[in-house]
Formats: sequence, structure tokens, C-alpha cells
Amino acid sequence: MIGLIAAFAAIYYAFNMPRRNLSKEKALYTLEAKQLISEFKKDEAIATKKYLDKAIAVKGEIKSIRTLDNHSMVFSLEDEMEGVSCTVDSAEVVSNSLKLAQFSKGSIGSFKGRCSGMLMDIQVINCVPE
Amino acid sequence: MNKLILCFAFGLIFFNAGAQNRFFTKDAKINFNSSTSVEDIVAESNQATTLIDIDKNEVAFSVLTTSFKFRRALMEEHFNENYMESPKFPKAKFSGKIISTIDWKSEKPVIADVKGQLTMHGVTKEVTLKAQITPGKSKIVASAELKVTPEDFNISIPSAVRDKIAKEVTIKIDATYAPYQQ
Repeated sequence: MIGLIAAFAAIYYAFNMPRRNLSKEKALYTLEAKQLISEFKKDEAIATKKYLDKAIAVKGEIKSIRTLDNHSMVFSLEDEMEGVSCTVDSAEVVSNSLKLAQFSKGSIGSFKGRCSGMLMDIQVINCVPE
Repeated sequence: MNKLILCFAFGLIFFNAGAQNRFFTKDAKINFNSSTSVEDIVAESNQATTLIDIDKNEVAFSVLTTSFKFRRALMEEHFNENYMESPKFPKAKFSGKIISTIDWKSEKPVIADVKGQLTMHGVTKEVTLKAQITPGKSKIVASAELKVTPEDFNISIPSAVRDKIAKEVTIKIDATYAPYQQ
């Protein structure tokens, strides 16, 4: 009987595993976007190893804001092409709408998220505004 | 004096023509679909970066594997931790050439052959695909599809779940490019 309940619990969990919630996690690193950019420019491999998948809090000047087709929002800090891009997923956009409304081009934006690596810009995903 | 103006005018035209030879977007969509009788697994990234050079007929894509969103968080975790091994190989890349001749001024959609190297999970393979490209002065719209076999990229899927994932996974790409402002 317990085995059956355990099996159901496992299956339920598998289907409904909660996503990593950055608003509840503590940032391992808190830094200026400028510093993150310079570390990646200096050595992408070392910076990727240091920051990949870690919860980080990053702050910088918002150069552009765009909304993607899936309703998530991307805030580019310090440089539109080669800066730090913080993606807020659509669900978090809704629950943080008041805070996000205060962010505009030219203002300082602060985000906590997890670093997913570098393409032309450094990507921080699953962000919540701080 | 007239010669000087002519030179200047030519210089301007040349400069403008050069400025519009590269097109770019950071929001290209890459969707992959594994369809079996057991289950449909779909994942999408809205943040692929891609560049087209219409003078050299070259195209490049790169995407972070962690940017793919699945309907279920557990699938996403399996994808990143077990299959793609994203911590070891965070990026997937494509770099290639548009082999067909394209009239970039035409603004009519054309089907073109694209050939290049796809790097995923640390493995690089030559791939050929067909793309539909609609050129334009201020934007280029492109879409493409290709099928990949996970095993070709050393992606090992445990035999217990192998039937749940298609032998070939279909990758669809959609991008709307704008002129690259450097």
C-alpha cells in the first residue's frame, strides 16, 4: 500500500516538478553588469565555469527592453548587443509587473537570475527584478 | 570641384551599400519536436542569435541549450543534465553557406539550400538543409527545418526511454533579421 502511494507521489512529482524559483534562492554572486562583462571578455571559458548555472544578482544601466513572442521580457544592461541580457519569464513578468513598470531605458535595473552562458551578450535567465 | 562631389557621392553610396550587407537578430526561434506514438516532446528557445551576410552568402546561428523551454520542468532538467550535458556544452552552433543564388533585392520568397557545420554536445557534423528566405531592404525573414539523430551527436538516450524519443528529432528555425548596426 505504501509502495503504491510512493509510486503515485513519484509520478506526480515527475509531472509537476516545480521549476527553479530564483526569487527564493540567495544569489551566490552580487555584482555590477560591467564587472560580469569584463570577466567574460577576459576569458570566456573561465567565466563560464565560474558563473554557469549559478544564481547571480546583477545591476546595470538598462539599454533596451524587449518583449518576446512568448511574453517574456529581456532587459539588456550596459550594452544592447554585448551587455548582460536578463530574461524575465512570462509568469514572473505578471507577478512582478509593478516592479518592472518602474524599469525604463536609461534607468538602473537590478535582477537576480541564473547565468546560462555567453553568445554575443551574457545571458541571465529565470530572472526576477530586485 | 565636380569630380570631388562625384567621388564623395560614390563614397556615400558605397558606404551605404556596405552598411546593409549584414542582418542580425537575437530573438530567433528554434523549436524542436520529437514525436512518437508514446509522447510528443516539444521544446522552444526564443533567444537564438543569428547573422546573415548577404555579400558572402554566409549564415551563422548560436543558441544556449539552457534557453530551451519544455512544458514540464523535469523534462527540461533531463534535457540539460543528462542529454545535452549543458554544463559541459552550453552552446549549440551552426555556421554555413547559402549555396543557392539569391537575389537579395527581390523581396520574393525563395527556397534555398544551406550547407554547413552544426555543433551540438561537443560534436560537429556537416548538415544540409532547405530554408525559405524572403529578402527585403529593411528585414530578411527566414525559416528552415532539419532532422537530426541524437546518436550522431553522441547524445546517449537510455534504452529504457529510447522509445519515448523519436529516432530523428525535427528542428525548426524561424528568424526575422534586421540590418546589423555595429
